[in-house]
Amino acid sequence: MAPVVGIIANPVSARDIRRVVANAASLQITDRANIVLRVLAALRACGVTDVLMMPEKGGIRGHVERGVVRARAHGDTPYPAIHLVDMPVTGTVADTHRAAAAMRQAGVAAIVVLGGDGTHRAVVAHCGSIPIAGISTGTNNAFPEHREPTITGLATGLAVTGKVPAPVAFAANKRIDVCVNGGELREIALVDVALVTERYIGARALYRTENFRELFVTFADPEVIGMSAIAGLLEPVARDESGGLMVRLATPEQRQAGTCGTILHAPIAPGMITPVGVTDWRRMPAGVPFVPEIKAGSIALDGEREVSFSARDRVSLTLRDDAFRTVNVGGCMRFAAQNRLLAGAPAPLPATA
Amino acid sequence: MTENPFPLDRDDLLKAYRIMRTIREFEERLHIDFAKGDIPGFVHLYAGEEASAAGIMMHLKDNDRIASTHRGHGHCIAKGVDVHEMMAEIYGRSTGACRGKGGSMHIADLSKGMMGANGILGAGAPLACGAALAAKVRGDGGVGISFVGDGASNQGMFLESLNLAAVWNLPAIFVVENNGYAESTARDWAVAVDSYIDRASGFGLPGVTVDGTDFFAVYEAAGEIIRRAREGGGPALLECNMVRFYGHFEGDAQTYRAKGEVEAIRASRDCIKIFAERVIEAGVISRAELEAIDKEVLDLIEDAVRAAKSAPLPAPAELLTDVYVAY
Repeated sequence: MAPVVGIIANPVSARDIRRVVANAASLQITDRANIVLRVLAALRACGVTDVLMMPEKGGIRGHVERGVVRARAHGDTPYPAIHLVDMPVTGTVADTHRAAAAMRQAGVAAIVVLGGDGTHRAVVAHCGSIPIAGISTGTNNAFPEHREPTITGLATGLAVTGKVPAPVAFAANKRIDVCVNGGELREIALVDVALVTERYIGARALYRTENFRELFVTFADPEVIGMSAIAGLLEPVARDESGGLMVRLATPEQRQAGTCGTILHAPIAPGMITPVGVTDWRRMPAGVPFVPEIKAGSIALDGEREVSFSARDRVSLTLRDDAFRTVNVGGCMRFAAQNRLLAGAPAPLPATA
Repeated sequence: MTENPFPLDRDDLLKAYRIMRTIREFEERLHIDFAKGDIPGFVHLYAGEEASAAGIMMHLKDNDRIASTHRGHGHCIAKGVDVHEMMAEIYGRSTGACRGKGGSMHIADLSKGMMGANGILGAGAPLACGAALAAKVRGDGGVGISFVGDGASNQGMFLESLNLAAVWNLPAIFVVENNGYAESTARDWAVAVDSYIDRASGFGLPGVTVDGTDFFAVYEAAGEIIRRAREGGGPALLECNMVRFYGHFEGDAQTYRAKGEVEAIRASRDCIKIFAERVIEAGVISRAELEAIDKEVLDLIEDAVRAAKSAPLPAPAELLTDVYVAY
């Protein structure tokens, strides 16, 4: 039986306050449905006949079904059969958690994720060793690489059908584990953990740089935006090397006194380039617990405030190498080219009348 | 005293709680009194949705104007309309905010910037544009805010208002209070675009979605949107995802809702409970302080009902007064 691919498309990513405080875009539901259709077509082209989708009430499914019906009306069958995870829809992140866990249990070969860093984090928290293929439909997308979704779909199809060997098809990724009070609360981050002085969750997104204090990243990339960009503009750390980077940021007092070492002009959100005072930075080796210096504030995971903490709480952060797997899209497509996986003998032309 | 981690000082936290609790008790009392047949006309209750009104209105001054909906009691209370006058209005008494002639769906107090609840779906949106245009012309930094429900956002007036606000770059804000039901019709059946943010995008307006049961999420997002509008940054749309504790109107049998749905949201998505737990847990406000407010609010509502019931009805001779405004 051909492998089944999971699809989790978040209908509410890219809806936060950064559309007002910055110039973040807002991908429409119909565009998200269109992306799903492109992925479906690519999967089918690789021989995937069945997908398992997360149900949602944001409208993606309806538009996808419309696309399938239209194709069928033309006599085309370019899509795999779509099955929905049997689960209640709450319209919250719990849906993503539940869908990822159900797909893991159903034994899907990979999960294609449409969302921002937060959506990908929610999937990784529950998908275990199932590889994911990320498509950026969020705000600050450091984790999913920007790429035409058709290609992500092709690579996933080639990977799960075994046309590309697993060592090439899948890549290992890092993660930061956040532990509060010895395990009372455990969270993960795929790209960054930021410690900020705001002690309430509120509208979640990070944009007030004067409140940033400490930053821990799994990779530091000067080509992305957000927290990883701050680290990446200081000392790039690749996704595929061990360990990450920790950065200490200046307080407003330190900036005013001129005692912070560096003022970095960092792209922290779309269209938002903000001066950030940096005092120092250093490598964050894997497996070593780090205890933040800030005593009270909020822990932001992949750019969103998630947990507030006070001086009573004990917080520690540990980076893990090889924590979860992704589809190595570039690797798959290069392998496909080198081995002519998408090339075939020319079919005889149909006889013309 | 513990350091306050919230973006509001203690006095404002207590004020926000008092607003939300006043709305809740006002509505709970109407739920009972309407069933007894004491109240003429129709009432639509805002219970469960308090964090939206409070989180937005905490940023507003009297020169900021709001246009409300048929479910307007919460907006009135949060905007500072007198509770006694509101109750008298709903009871149809001459001491009411509109001298007892408007009832629940027409409570207004222009001195507080409350341009009125509105029985016509979506009709508040152009009013908010007008108020926003006035503020822009005067240069007084005011904003115009229109509240609509998820159903009313389908109205042509609402869509025309988004367009008008965008082309005139008005300090207008459109709040979609999405409680999931347009009367009894679920959103996924009746709203073609599926996302209200997409609807705003179609007119070039930024849109933000927040958890409308989280006062602090609404407060922060509304604060940024309102600040931006005051500074000339233009209109925006705020979608508050929220829950409705009662039916569309009082007397609605709610056969369209799942069994146990209301009990579940009352248990887990009660915005007042969520707020109280947070401020108490942070050690900023004590439970006793909140309970003292609860008691004062109950006394206030009791007194407002008593005063309303004992106030006179409008006299027949006043039938044609207060109907039109002479310019």
